[in-house]
Amino acid sequence: MNRFASFTVFAALAFVSTASSVAVAAAEANPIAKPNEGFAAGVTALVLFTIVCAILSVAVWPKIVKGLDERNEKIKGEIAAAEDARKQAKEALNEYEKNLADARAQAQQMLEETKATQNELAAQLKSKAETELNEMREKAKADIESAKKQALDELYSQSVNLATVMAGKILQREVSVNDEQRLMEESLAELKTVNS
Amino acid sequence: MSLSLTLAADPVQHVINHKFIVSENGYWIWSAIQTNMVLVSAVMIFVGLFVAKSVATGDEGQGHGRWVTNNRFAHMIEVICDYLRENTVRPMIGERTNAMMPFLWTIFFFILANNLLGLIPIIDLHNILAGTMAPEMLAQHKAFIGGTATQSIWVTGALGLIAAVVINLAGVKELGLAGYLKHLTAGAPIFVWPIIIPIEILGTVIKPAALTIRLFANMTAGHILVAVLIGFVATGFTNDNPLLGFPIGVASSLGVIAIYFLELFIAFLQAYVFMFLTTVFISLLSHHDDHDHETSHEIAEAFLA
Repeated sequence: MNRFASFTVFAALAFVSTASSVAVAAAEANPIAKPNEGFAAGVTALVLFTIVCAILSVAVWPKIVKGLDERNEKIKGEIAAAEDARKQAKEALNEYEKNLADARAQAQQMLEETKATQNELAAQLKSKAETELNEMREKAKADIESAKKQALDELYSQSVNLATVMAGKILQREVSVNDEQRLMEESLAELKTVNS
Repeated sequence: MSLSLTLAADPVQHVINHKFIVSENGYWIWSAIQTNMVLVSAVMIFVGLFVAKSVATGDEGQGHGRWVTNNRFAHMIEVICDYLRENTVRPMIGERTNAMMPFLWTIFFFILANNLLGLIPIIDLHNILAGTMAPEMLAQHKAFIGGTATQSIWVTGALGLIAAVVINLAGVKELGLAGYLKHLTAGAPIFVWPIIIPIEILGTVIKPAALTIRLFANMTAGHILVAVLIGFVATGFTNDNPLLGFPIGVASSLGVIAIYFLELFIAFLQAYVFMFLTTVFISLLSHHDDHDHETSHEIAEAFLA
């Protein structure tokens, strides 16, 4: 017999003898534990408990375990789904906020660009208007100058004609074309001298 | 009132077991608590089947309602089962929980049902009926039903024996026979074995014995206390001097009510403690590298102290 087998036998014998001694001592020491009064009750408890445990282990506990486990899985699944939904909602919210911020930035940028374009356009319009106005002013000046010159020329011409006529009448002779031309050029020269 | 006066005379007579069928050589073949246990067993089976049906997941056609336990009582049992499994047993024995739960649930509810049935004064109703219908039964202290089964050390001893068998079988299954026997050496050097092994073997007996005596003593003490207080109530209200007796009667009545509620709590507590300690002892016979092994040792030592 090897060492392990010896030990097993020794331990088993020790267990049985110790348990028996303790049980007998407890029964003898305790007046309530009268074997003739309680033994049948103890056996009944043993048998009934074994029967109840067997029946419940077959017909009741497996169903309750299955129900509890399925419910646990369901609850865990629901919690996980809720966590996913929360995560997705958070991501959607973040994306929405990001889009909103982008849209705001874009709107601001568009507003600034519009303002800039508007300012530029206004400046261009103003510049164009000023240019056109200047051009119109210059043109008007030129027109005035031209009209003035033309009027002066006509005035001089008429004056020369008148003077020629008057001179002819005074001199009782007809002033030739050459005289008239010469008088007019002299008058114009004098007039230019006066005007300048 | 004569019954109450009897109680006042000897409250222990009220709470001990009553014989019903006795053999010629004086052995009690059937007693009141045996009927109690049969009743408890029947109730456990029928209620268990009802609860199982209510707790089980329903058909898919019920939608979300298939996950809901329809009956409040079944829901209460479900909550208790879930608490015992997830909060009491699983932290201590981990993967072995599912294998051990049928036994642990059964022992918890068996003790609880017997404790609660013991709080119903069936024996008193029985004695009142027997007093009018079969006076000879009352005279011979015979009763068919009543009392508290868990108040008999033979019953608690049987439960302790079952617990011991389960604890050690679970230990052998977990550790193997060699590992189980090696566990009896407590890891001590070989020259200490002659001291350690008998102590460890005694430990395997003392642990279930502690379960046995704790349950028996708690249930007996509480019931005797209630019986004594009821005796005070009877003697107080029947006292010749009402100025003295009436206050005693009123105070004792209030005391009985208070202790009765305490007993109700103890009925649950002792069932829980029995199951809890059985789990602790199961967890002690596991591999020493288990995370909670040392904690289990500490709990066991605290309860055995």
